[in-house]
Amino acid sequence: MQLSSTIHEADDFDAIQELYHSHGWTDGLPIVPPTPEAVMACLEWSMLAPDHLIGVEPVRERPITAEKLATNAVMAGCLPMHFPVVVAAITAMLQPEFLIHGATASTGGCAVLLILNGPIRLELNTNSTFNALGSSDRATMVIGRALRLILINVLDVRPGEIDRSTIGHPGKISYCVAEDEEDSDWLSLAEQHDIPKDISAVTVLAAGAPRQIMNEWTTKPEEILETFAAEIRDNMRNYSIWPGNYAIVVPKQLREHLQAAKWSKQDIAEFIFKRARIHRREWADVGKGSVVRGRGDTEYAALESPDQLLIVAAGGPAGGFGAVIPPWLGPKSHAVTLPIGACLDCGPPLNREKIEN
Amino acid sequence: MPIHVLDPSNETSPPIGELAPRLNSLAGKTVGFISNGKEGSKGFFRHVERILREDYGVANIEMRVKSNFSAPADPHIAAEIPQWDAVITGLGD
Repeated sequence: MQLSSTIHEADDFDAIQELYHSHGWTDGLPIVPPTPEAVMACLEWSMLAPDHLIGVEPVRERPITAEKLATNAVMAGCLPMHFPVVVAAITAMLQPEFLIHGATASTGGCAVLLILNGPIRLELNTNSTFNALGSSDRATMVIGRALRLILINVLDVRPGEIDRSTIGHPGKISYCVAEDEEDSDWLSLAEQHDIPKDISAVTVLAAGAPRQIMNEWTTKPEEILETFAAEIRDNMRNYSIWPGNYAIVVPKQLREHLQAAKWSKQDIAEFIFKRARIHRREWADVGKGSVVRGRGDTEYAALESPDQLLIVAAGGPAGGFGAVIPPWLGPKSHAVTLPIGACLDCGPPLNREKIEN
Repeated sequence: MPIHVLDPSNETSPPIGELAPRLNSLAGKTVGFISNGKEGSKGFFRHVERILREDYGVANIEMRVKSNFSAPADPHIAAEIPQWDAVITGLGD
């Protein structure tokens, strides 16, 4: 395997940091030096040739090779075992329905939320409980950061260049959560997309910042979910009225009440579908009266259908704190779920030993 | 001992389209507008149209609005461009 990137030489670790910062190759934080050996280790783990074409960014026709992904993944702190998730996530982002150029260039300033499912969560020792949306563990932090460095360096999504975000949000540093499949009765997000439980998967969503809710004062599913629906309605008034892939993060304390009442993810989605709606006239309540334009009685739903809602079991064991994660741009960018390192419709997976021999 | 590290940038040049020859005059010409369709683009293009017609004698303005303001122009819009003498694309946030 032959690497083709330009090789730079630096005297020591500090010089490397200054070299990368001075070229605009970082997110502002220190990076792990992407030595040829570290990059090769990532590629070998995923059995990808350096020049393997992961995809082509469709608007500016920029090729994205495995070598460049691995280089940026190493810089983000990824170990080789993290790299297959990065490859799958970028592949998902390159699906047309994700609308990668718009999602990364928009003034709307969304980030790419990654949701991990399946065995890889355990293999990478992710933490789906305490601080699930924060710095919960090494794997989700470095994988999320790798996506941002790839966008910056491979697609020039730097602030003021391709990235035209007005304010952005902290998820643009790293925004990755692993679903808690061990402590939940529900189907995982990947299983809802017909990916078997023993196959790992990643979901990408062009997403705004999480909006935290709290309801510790009831055990009734309808009341718990009304709090989530109300937060979605607020987002529709204050941010964007258009329907799309909303995600909600449901912590254990609230899951216990919902699951005790035998509410499935499908039941939850149908409830939210019915309740997360506003009338156009409500824009006038939040200072947007000028765009109501005689259509005040028109009703808008947050979801085009119940299955647009992504329900993620995650969060620490105590506390009725959940989150609504709104979509960047309603129906124009869709969440994409893909298996990691597997192809579900192209025959049995190749045997690693056979390839190496 | 020096450390060797890899360049993380794309290191390929984006394909660059060829610019059409510059017009000597806009008088009597047809100019296409491709708007991203956002609210602020309406006033912007109205103003540009007035300048082009009144000050430069442009004969026709063909206004087109993208179906998705965050995506490239729709193929049917791009297909029309060769019929115009000049094109202006703009956004209005």
